[in-house]
Amino acid sequence: MVAVTIITGICLVSVFISYIAFRKGFTKNADDYFVAGSSLGYFVLIFSLLASFLSAFSMFGMSSFGYRLGYGSLYVLTANLVPLGFLWYFMHKKTFLLGRARKWMSMGAPFGERYGTAMRIILVLVVLVASIPYLVAQIQGIGVMLEAMSEGIISFHVGLFFVPFFIALYLMMGGMKGAAWVNAIQGVFFSVMVFVLFFFVMMKNGGFIPTMEMVIAKHPKLFQIGWAGGKVWSYPMIFGMAAAMCLGCVCFPQPYMHAYSSRSVRGFKAMVLAFGGICLVVITMPTLIGIAGTIIVPGLKGVQADKIYGLVASATMPDWLAAFAVAGGFTAAMSTVNGLVFGNATNISVDIIKIIRPETKQSDLINIARIFVGIIMAVCVVIAWNPNTPVAELSVIAFGTVAVTFFALWGAYYWERATKTGAILSTLVGVGLNVTFFLVGGKKMVLFPQESLFNLNGFLASFIASGVVFFVGCYLTQPGRIEEKSLKLFFHQSLTK
Amino acid sequence: MESTRKKKNNLIFLTLFLVLTVLCWCPVGYGSYGEVAMIFGMPSWAFFMLVFGAVLFVLEWIYLFWTDLALYDDDLETIMTELEALDEKELIKEEV
Repeated sequence: MVAVTIITGICLVSVFISYIAFRKGFTKNADDYFVAGSSLGYFVLIFSLLASFLSAFSMFGMSSFGYRLGYGSLYVLTANLVPLGFLWYFMHKKTFLLGRARKWMSMGAPFGERYGTAMRIILVLVVLVASIPYLVAQIQGIGVMLEAMSEGIISFHVGLFFVPFFIALYLMMGGMKGAAWVNAIQGVFFSVMVFVLFFFVMMKNGGFIPTMEMVIAKHPKLFQIGWAGGKVWSYPMIFGMAAAMCLGCVCFPQPYMHAYSSRSVRGFKAMVLAFGGICLVVITMPTLIGIAGTIIVPGLKGVQADKIYGLVASATMPDWLAAFAVAGGFTAAMSTVNGLVFGNATNISVDIIKIIRPETKQSDLINIARIFVGIIMAVCVVIAWNPNTPVAELSVIAFGTVAVTFFALWGAYYWERATKTGAILSTLVGVGLNVTFFLVGGKKMVLFPQESLFNLNGFLASFIASGVVFFVGCYLTQPGRIEEKSLKLFFHQSLTK
Repeated sequence: MESTRKKKNNLIFLTLFLVLTVLCWCPVGYGSYGEVAMIFGMPSWAFFMLVFGAVLFVLEWIYLFWTDLALYDDDLETIMTELEALDEKELIKEEV
């Protein structure tokens, strides 16, 4: 019950913080509600972006990955994210500058101005579809851990409603500013708690090196790449997962929303730089905790391994501290649901509803976004009802799917010859292939290298096909009036630095 | 002259970023299948991957905050003025 009390407390504090944002009038108009009036300082930006990405996947999923698949898991979400420092800078520098000049509020705005309304709407739908498995992974992770920590008092299915209810409440009230404040506080909290848990887990067996020596004696394959006959952590598998996660991060709504919300260039740069550096340290910890977990709580399989984070906490810490450690994982999941649901609700409201009904008032747009927060959350709870795919795999599928919008984004900002047709075709082909691979061969076809795909995994094959279609499509078609007109803005000489 | 120097420096940084990105995304050149040597309790390839990540982080930090190649707050006002002026001109043209 200690864990449940602490988690409920965190939920209530989050709602209270958001209520303060609401009471202070930070949600009065659309600009305030959706992009916090471009007023966020660098500390809030850094931890809000961090928390909006680090999730049940980073804590529960990565410890589960480490537990089941060993050190190769480090390529999924640690050093492979450090390139985001320059990738985000180059890809979203114009998002920041043009967003400020043009008062953009959603991620569809740059696509709309560069390629037209069709691409704007397609992008929103693609990002929504790609976000669903990732959101489901968070809600599923919350349900699994809540059941484990309450020792069955709160069942998995009740847990599915418990935290999402609070998240929907504080998102509806506080808008971007409230969400960013909550995210920042939660980000600091789970970063600290993962260090504390790492310390306790490693000290149980006399320190990090003695612990790893015990693990290697029992499970040597966890320290290898190319095991299971070269199938697990082969070079193509590692490259596929590392690239999917990193490129997916470029294309999800969070960097757009945070770029629009940044008060200064310094804040924007600090945010894009710090993310990779913090991930390098903070996500390495749960992965190593999972690996150490193989000798502390042996024998977990599949979805059950998602509980390892909570189980090693219970096995190595006093009850109250274990509850805080797991609550850290909960806050990570909450902040990601928060960031992603908010981003998608904003996209639907601003990029679809406003386009269909241009006369919609700003106050109505805010209310529509609030309604979609509730709808998206409810859909995810329904899908999470019967979990059969572990959190980590669900997340990689989501990142891989959204990454196919990378070429359209790059073309919008850096290639004058990019055309609407090329952008639309490349996005549809990329997503279509990802979905087809999933339907034909299941998660294995998307995640693991396939001989039929020249030893690439489904994501990489889709990504490459998407790129080829983009370039061929753009060369075979002529830029239309919208593309021509957009060049003056997107390639203005002041943006060249 | 100044612009050539900036282009050259940009190219150097970009090349370093790309090489280190490949190393952070795949153990090519520093990993091998099967048994491995250990460094500080972890496989040598995992240790090197973390080191490459740290080096890339430092290089990005230098590029973003310690060179004249990146954007700074001092540039922001000028850029916004120019972009907003462009916007106004476009609006006027459309009205005509």
